[in-house]
Amino acid sequence: MKALVFSDEPKNAREIITYLRGKMDIDVISTEDKELPEYGAQKVYFYKDGFVDNLSKFLADHITKNKYDFVFISSTNTGRELAGILSYKLKMKCMPEIFSFEHGGKTVTKRFFHGGKTVVEEESDFQMFTVSASICEAEKTDKRSEIENINLDKSNYKIINVKGKNTAGTDIRNAKVIVSIGRGLGSEENIKKIQPLVDELHAEIAGSRPVCLDYKWLSEDKQVGLSGKKVRPDFYIALGISGQIQHIAGIRGSKTIIAINKDKSAPIFEECDYGIVGDLFTVVPELVKKLK
Amino acid sequence: MDIAVLVKQTVDMDQIKLNDNNEPILDDLPLKMDILSKNAVEAAVQLKEKYTGKVTAFIFGTERSTSTMKEAYAMGVDDGTVIKGYQKSDPTVTASVLAEELKKSKFDIIILGDQSSDSYSGLLAGILSSELGLDVVTNAINIEIKDKIANVTVESENEDITVETKLPAIVSVAQEINEARLPKVMQIMAAGKKPINIVEGKPDYRDDSRILSDKAPESQRKKIIYEDGKGIDEVAKILKVVK
Ligand SMILES: Cc1cc2nc3c(=O)[nH]c(=O)nc-3n(C[C@H](O)[C@H](O)[C@H](O)COP(=O)(O)OP(=O)(O)OC[C@H]3O[C@@H](n4cnc5c(N)ncnc54)[C@H](O)[C@@H]3O)c2cc1C
Repeated sequence: MKALVFSDEPKNAREIITYLRGKMDIDVISTEDKELPEYGAQKVYFYKDGFVDNLSKFLADHITKNKYDFVFISSTNTGRELAGILSYKLKMKCMPEIFSFEHGGKTVTKRFFHGGKTVVEEESDFQMFTVSASICEAEKTDKRSEIENINLDKSNYKIINVKGKNTAGTDIRNAKVIVSIGRGLGSEENIKKIQPLVDELHAEIAGSRPVCLDYKWLSEDKQVGLSGKKVRPDFYIALGISGQIQHIAGIRGSKTIIAINKDKSAPIFEECDYGIVGDLFTVVPELVKKLK
Repeated sequence: MDIAVLVKQTVDMDQIKLNDNNEPILDDLPLKMDILSKNAVEAAVQLKEKYTGKVTAFIFGTERSTSTMKEAYAMGVDDGTVIKGYQKSDPTVTASVLAEELKKSKFDIIILGDQSSDSYSGLLAGILSSELGLDVVTNAINIEIKDKIANVTVESENEDITVETKLPAIVSVAQEINEARLPKVMQIMAAGKKPINIVEGKPDYRDDSRILSDKAPESQRKKIIYEDGKGIDEVAKILKVVK
């Protein structure tokens, strides 16, 4: 069996290859990335200046020519646009947002449904999938892929402005320990009250959507969740986060989840390994003292 | 300017309860306008207010979708069509039903929500753009229009990118694009009296996938919860490995 993996984000491509490796042969198309050829794909194709029009044209031809059994597209903006277009052009139905794939005769996939409330397991003959971010932890292999650079046609779209966002450098998706703050922190000034915990654990700080998007106590790239980043740290420490389903969607890959919340009935306590019911402003300093 | 907005009606997912088997109970759930559809309607109405024109809404739904259309009217939509026949989340089918209806009129811009909140598929914009042969830009946080050209700002990971695209085009919007208005009582009352065009859709659902199970995910977490000031020693011990 042979599959094509596409992602405009090499990080996602690395994860999807790792996930599928051993089950089938894989070619991958992505943007320039030094490490991508170290993940066990047969062929790595790099492109530049891709938009939906020139990419979809290239991909449609490439998929038809190479007769892939499966096409896996990572779920990013560009990925979803392309999946829609390709699914129509190639008459291949697309199963969206999968986080599990098994193939034996039929294909069995899993994805979240009802806004993350449930998981549906489906059997189908579909050949195209969009893959939810962080499907697994990427791991290198000894095998090196063959590299080919591809030239795309010129796009009809024109970029007229790029505004960099205020991002604070580190990518929380690579963090081993994350201290994550929610609305329960109360104010931006209170960040300094939990900073000792962050320092003590050499952690990265992250937050819920209101904290990053609405109140802007942290920059947008620190948002964890469905519409933010999906993280996989060894320890995820949630402070004053209620644990709504959209937040949980971003932390499922964490090895150990620790929650501190003053409300005993907060849903985060259903999704954590260790929970402390209490006021974070008393619990955190005590914890720091114990850690010293 | 002729603006089309695609509106999705969903069940109120916050009210889904589970049965003893951990499966969702979906009967008799209240229906509402999907969250990103609200932003789409708001974006469409704002474009009309800024550039003048007319907003036409389309819902692929059921006979129960008129309440959502009335909500769209109250927010400022001028005209609306409910296409009956919706059975399930299947972007290919939804796109072809909507394309059928959209082809009957001319629109400068077709607006929809980027991902709907049941499945987060986000495939509709792409499929529709192929069906209708239009350009597509997704996840927009701003739309400016000048002489049949749209400058659409798209939110991505580390930057906001503004792309220029020719109209007609399909633009899907992110939640950040606006804050949907709450219609006033007068508008809600006026909306109730406005006629809704109801047509029969011809969805071609295929039996090409089968649901094996649909259950709330079981948490694999340990769920060791400490109360009454306890737990700090235990948690500190667990975290010591980091240091
Ligand atoms: C389409 C969509 C996408 C979304 N995407 C995301 C996403 O990607 N990420 C995300 O996080 N959210 C997302 N959300 C929002 C999500 O539904 C919740 O609204 C959000 O996660 C709540 O954030 P919070 O837990 O910080 O705030 P709240 O829900 O307000 O919770 C605050 C918690 O702090 C506790 N608290 C208060 N004071 C203290 C104290 N002194 N000590 C201890 N605990 C205290 C409270 O008991 C409460 O549980 C999305 C929503 C939608 C509709």
